[in-house]
Amino acid sequence: MSIIEKVQYIWPEIAMFIATCVVMVLGLSPSLAIRRLCSPVCGAALVIAGLLAVMGPDTAPAALPHLMPYAKVIVAGVGLLLLLLLAGTVDREEESLIATGRARFNPLRTNRAEFYAFFLFSLTGVMLCASASDLIWLFLALELTSLPTYIMVTVSTRGRSHEAGVKYFFLGALGAATFLYGFAMLYGGTGTTDLSGIRQHFAEHGINSIAMLGLLLSVLGIGFKIAAVPMHFYTPDVYEGAAAPVSAFLAFVPKTAGFLAIMLIASLPGWGYGPVAGADGVIRDGLGAGASLPEALRLTLWVMAALTMTVGNVLALWQNSVKRILAYSSIAHSGYMLVGIIAGPVGERFIDNGLAAVLFYLLAYGVMNVGTFAVLACLEKSGGAALQSGARSTGLETGATTEIETVDDLRGLCRTHPAMGWTMVLCSLSLLGFPPLLGFMGKFPLFTAGIAAGEIPLVIVLGINSAIAAFYYLRLVAAPLLEDPSPASPPATPTPFPARPMAALLSAASVLILVGFAGVLMKQSAKAGETVVSPGHTAGRGASDGVAAWNP
Amino acid sequence: MTTLAQANLPAVMHQLTLAHYLFVSAAMFVLGLIGFVTRRNLIIMFLCTELMFQAAGIALVAFSRFHLNHTGEAFVIFVITVAAAEAAMGLALVVLLFRRRESLSAEEWAEMKG
Amino acid sequence: MIGVAPALNGVIGALAQEGPAHAATAAGPAWAALIPALPLLGVVLCTLCAVFRVKNRLPAVLTVACLAGAFGLTVWMFLTTGHGTAVTTSLDWIRFHAAPGHEFVSSWGFFIDPLTCLWMLFVTGLATLIAIYAGEYMAGDAGAGYSRFFAAFNLFVFSMACLVMADSLVLLFLGWEGVGLCSYLLIGYFYKRPAAVAAAKKAFIMNRIGDVGLMMGITSTWVVFGTVEYAPIFDMISRGVDGAGNALPEWAGWVIPSLFTIGAFGKSAQLFLYVWLPDAMEGPTPVSALIHAATMVTAGVYLIARMYPMYVLDGTHWVLTLIAWSGAITALWSATIGMAQFDIKRIMAYSTVSQLGYMFAGLGVLTTTGAAFHVFTHAFFKATLFLCCGAVMHGFAGQLDLRRVSGLWSMRGWAVVTIAMLVGCLNLAGFPFTAGFFSKDMIIAECYVTPGMAPVGWVLLLTAGLTAYYTFRVFFRVFVGPAEFEPGDEAHAHGPAGDDHGHAAGAGTPSSVDSTDHSHGFHPHAPGLAINFVLGLLAVLSLAAAATYFVGGEHGWVGEMVHHSTAGVSGAALPGGGAVHADLETGAPGFLGYNPHAVMYYVSAAVGLIGILIAAFLHGPRGVGGLLIGSRRHAATSRADALLPVLGPVARGAQHKWYVDEVYDFLIIRPIWVIAHLFHLFDKLIVDGLVGLAGWLPRGMGGAIRPTQSGHLHGYAVGMAGGVAVLLLVVLLVAW
Repeated sequence: MSIIEKVQYIWPEIAMFIATCVVMVLGLSPSLAIRRLCSPVCGAALVIAGLLAVMGPDTAPAALPHLMPYAKVIVAGVGLLLLLLLAGTVDREEESLIATGRARFNPLRTNRAEFYAFFLFSLTGVMLCASASDLIWLFLALELTSLPTYIMVTVSTRGRSHEAGVKYFFLGALGAATFLYGFAMLYGGTGTTDLSGIRQHFAEHGINSIAMLGLLLSVLGIGFKIAAVPMHFYTPDVYEGAAAPVSAFLAFVPKTAGFLAIMLIASLPGWGYGPVAGADGVIRDGLGAGASLPEALRLTLWVMAALTMTVGNVLALWQNSVKRILAYSSIAHSGYMLVGIIAGPVGERFIDNGLAAVLFYLLAYGVMNVGTFAVLACLEKSGGAALQSGARSTGLETGATTEIETVDDLRGLCRTHPAMGWTMVLCSLSLLGFPPLLGFMGKFPLFTAGIAAGEIPLVIVLGINSAIAAFYYLRLVAAPLLEDPSPASPPATPTPFPARPMAALLSAASVLILVGFAGVLMKQSAKAGETVVSPGHTAGRGASDGVAAWNP
Repeated sequence: MTTLAQANLPAVMHQLTLAHYLFVSAAMFVLGLIGFVTRRNLIIMFLCTELMFQAAGIALVAFSRFHLNHTGEAFVIFVITVAAAEAAMGLALVVLLFRRRESLSAEEWAEMKG
Repeated sequence: MIGVAPALNGVIGALAQEGPAHAATAAGPAWAALIPALPLLGVVLCTLCAVFRVKNRLPAVLTVACLAGAFGLTVWMFLTTGHGTAVTTSLDWIRFHAAPGHEFVSSWGFFIDPLTCLWMLFVTGLATLIAIYAGEYMAGDAGAGYSRFFAAFNLFVFSMACLVMADSLVLLFLGWEGVGLCSYLLIGYFYKRPAAVAAAKKAFIMNRIGDVGLMMGITSTWVVFGTVEYAPIFDMISRGVDGAGNALPEWAGWVIPSLFTIGAFGKSAQLFLYVWLPDAMEGPTPVSALIHAATMVTAGVYLIARMYPMYVLDGTHWVLTLIAWSGAITALWSATIGMAQFDIKRIMAYSTVSQLGYMFAGLGVLTTTGAAFHVFTHAFFKATLFLCCGAVMHGFAGQLDLRRVSGLWSMRGWAVVTIAMLVGCLNLAGFPFTAGFFSKDMIIAECYVTPGMAPVGWVLLLTAGLTAYYTFRVFFRVFVGPAEFEPGDEAHAHGPAGDDHGHAAGAGTPSSVDSTDHSHGFHPHAPGLAINFVLGLLAVLSLAAAATYFVGGEHGWVGEMVHHSTAGVSGAALPGGGAVHADLETGAPGFLGYNPHAVMYYVSAAVGLIGILIAAFLHGPRGVGGLLIGSRRHAATSRADALLPVLGPVARGAQHKWYVDEVYDFLIIRPIWVIAHLFHLFDKLIVDGLVGLAGWLPRGMGGAIRPTQSGHLHGYAVGMAGGVAVLLLVVLLVAW
């Protein structure tokens, strides 16, 4: 496919890029009114990108032909929530100094233009991941997603964000090198970087060792983006160090890009492998004999999934900081979604299609995740230890307020700040997968798809982990709902950015309201999760008979 | 187009196969990894990640030659571009960190844990 | 609402053959569904009253309106149905199809025959009257409690209607459980009183024991007949076939009736399961009158009467024999306890158990007519008695001890209560020409007619005498004699104002009252208009019930009704032919050689009179009030006290209810308590241990891997590189 043909698919990305350029300039204006346009322009760009994605062609010559519109729309949608939440993250004290006349506007000291531009760049990267038809493209899209986030993390606060930034950047480079090496091996094994070319090569010639190594290294390296074991180490520290809105951003944007990329990588060999007796009578993995990924890839993902869920959940039990709890839960959720990748598209129906389940879950996770982080972003308290590192060198005090941090800070929130408290309760319950909230709607098809694919042990691990997760999610529910405000810690006050509570309330509302539209969403994600039948994909995948019909 | 065989090169060069290039690439990758893990200086660590990137680059060029197409070489151009962007970011970050702590050691940055 | 779905009306197969005593089944009127629907509407309205915090007597008004409507419809149903049998189906309720021939279907429909009408007439009628009474009686609780009371009251009538009108055993079971629930709710109405809560629990648990029997009976019925609906079941019984068309298995003839009997014993407080009923008097008195005297406790009698064709399947009738003996023993047993009690409401409760024993004995000796007639008359006079006790309780702040209240007759405003009480007592004692006299007679006489049942007759005759004694013991102690009273403990609870009851109408203080010092200026309030009206009407109805004996056929109006229902027992209905009822000419047992039917009137009248006279002698006051043979001068003492040393242990035993509760405690509760504690230990040590381990394990794992999150960049890099390496190695070894 030539780049000219490709343009019709990437109008959303092009629109976003144009907006990025505009924002970069607007943010440097000495006029406050013009500087403030950054955010609305970003919003408009997201809306336009979403519309363009809907209006664009819904079928592409790719392994997942209908993926693009769905993926881009959910990215644009959750992106809008994130945009609301990011209000006031950078330049807060700078702007207050200017407003009080104690400083003049200095383009060198402001971060606004870069911050919003990087925000759009990163989202553009995710959309490009969905459009990728080539390894080079995919590599660039992934890097475009990640590189801006390194900066966003570093500049988001004056406290621990530097430590977060250094860990994120260096480990991210390590992860990127890993999947880049994997891409190089994939190219080496097949002689092409074109995804459909590689697919064809695998179908015709099988998977040689170099290509297999390439697949594994790619998946492991991209594991950094989704915070999967063994690439998960950075997650809690980075999420804790970054400002809460940026943490919310990290939990959704690179993760979505990573899952889209893993989906594309996994679709190269496809889900048609199984044990087959060769001409010499030796049983080995072969295409067309079963309904799984190639055994080596399946095992890698299997171990990653099981470890990711377990590590994320058991470590979350020890945390007292809400952000670290959410960071570990973010790891665990990646593990849940990997189950869907392993299951793959078992059947036509939504509940049998692991990829559709992942795509649906990404949306659900994005919404409820924004809600929980938004509560942290909306409330602040005076004093706190988080400023110590920042105070040492800059001397530029922030008015000595910090985000609320620990579970204790959430206590009694339903009474003191009812909207925030209930948002926390609803979103935590949804993350827990409490019926009938959105999180349940998302988790259920992961189970059914896993069962349909015959991955019973993994589904059991998934079930046990969902139970373990209840331990810490219920803490997040009980603290605001049942406990009294802690007398020891200073009372939380709302931040002066009305957009943030709006993001919180929208997320909480979505957790409830989207359930009503679950049928539409499931239909769309089922469509997006459809794969073209690969050459060896003839064997009936009859395992779905055991799953009860549940097709709203 | 001159091939290796036509070039006026020492004889040993004529016996170089894909495996040799891949070995160099792998060695560079692993060396970069080891350097990343063992060194404490942030700049050295960053250079080590660059080494790993370029290891991939060598592999890509070698494969490109092996497959007799230019895709790998095109890929390398992009890799170098991205690496340059990362270098810019990495150095900016290191400068920022140095200003804060007057040190280039990665060990300075280990407040958050658990 | 429930069943206003005429479209679903359908005839369930008309009986092909002429049934034992009932005519062919016809399609019933659709509006019959309104009879249970109206009380259900009452539930909704009373709940709304509770929600909107209505503080006045609106719930009572709504309840009376709904119940009166239901009563009106019942009368209409009775008039239109006549002696026929009608089945109406309101909606498809439960429908399971496992496989062809293995289906479980129960529609929401009503089986209307004269037996249904008979029961529904007194259920809805009495419920309406008692609701009027309760409107005044409960006025002290106006507010949330008032609405709660009437909501439960309505729910009870709804459940009872379902129970009685059901066309299938499943709907009957729903009603059965519903009345049990309402009984529980209403006994525990004063939920702040531990005794009330304990009594409610006791009633519920005892009822559950019976319910297990009923449930098993229903299941067995379904197993045998393949359906739970009456009409097809009775049809099959009359043809002697089971659901598959084969001959009925022999075990069905005794297993199913035995199981139903267990259920009936539980609900109607028979034999070992009676202990909950006296304790149930912790509930408000209108509840005791309606649920625990007149209606709910007769559900067991209804169940047996309804399923009577099953009881007579077995030619030996040994289940019926068992029922007869159980009834007789229960009657005597509880009468002896009743004789020694001092709490007048408890005495009435024991008399209820005793009278229920009569009804079961009647069922056992094949006189469903007698049993039903006794249910009918008993409903009126026992409701009267309870409501009179309630009036006393209401007026004297909860005082129920017959040693502390005396001479109501001479206090102002208590005339209606005294007369109503006298009427009720005469009925209960079987005084000649009262309704109770005829119905009790019919049962006792039948005992002597049925072979082998004469001993039951003797027991019942003895019980009749005891009944007359303890009934009039109450009357002579409380209602006549010197006017004296001590207020009950509620006077203190309500504070000196004492007018929390919200009405002072007609509360005159008798000037001549020999008031004791305990009263603290307490003024008994005599019942108001509503209570007097209801008592008067009920007294009249109790007497009028006797008249039904003289209209209709051989056994009166009730006999006529029963005869045309499934409970009708006729010679043809009995598989053994017509030879069950002995014929005197053939030399079968009679009453000392006389025709029982002819002489029983005199015998039982004499027994009753003797009982009354003994009561008058022992407890009656001096003068006319004690029939000129009494000698009591004070409320607290009587001639009977002199007998106490003589009777000694017997009296004490009876007073302590023959220690049945203590025996239960020792034989059942203690062992269960021990077992429960063993289980508790198991729970605590083993199960909790496992749960604790399950909770500890993830946390322990987390603690073990927590050091990996050291916060050091290098540590993380080693982790990542090592993780990738290990994973690749594993994959290489396992799955390459």
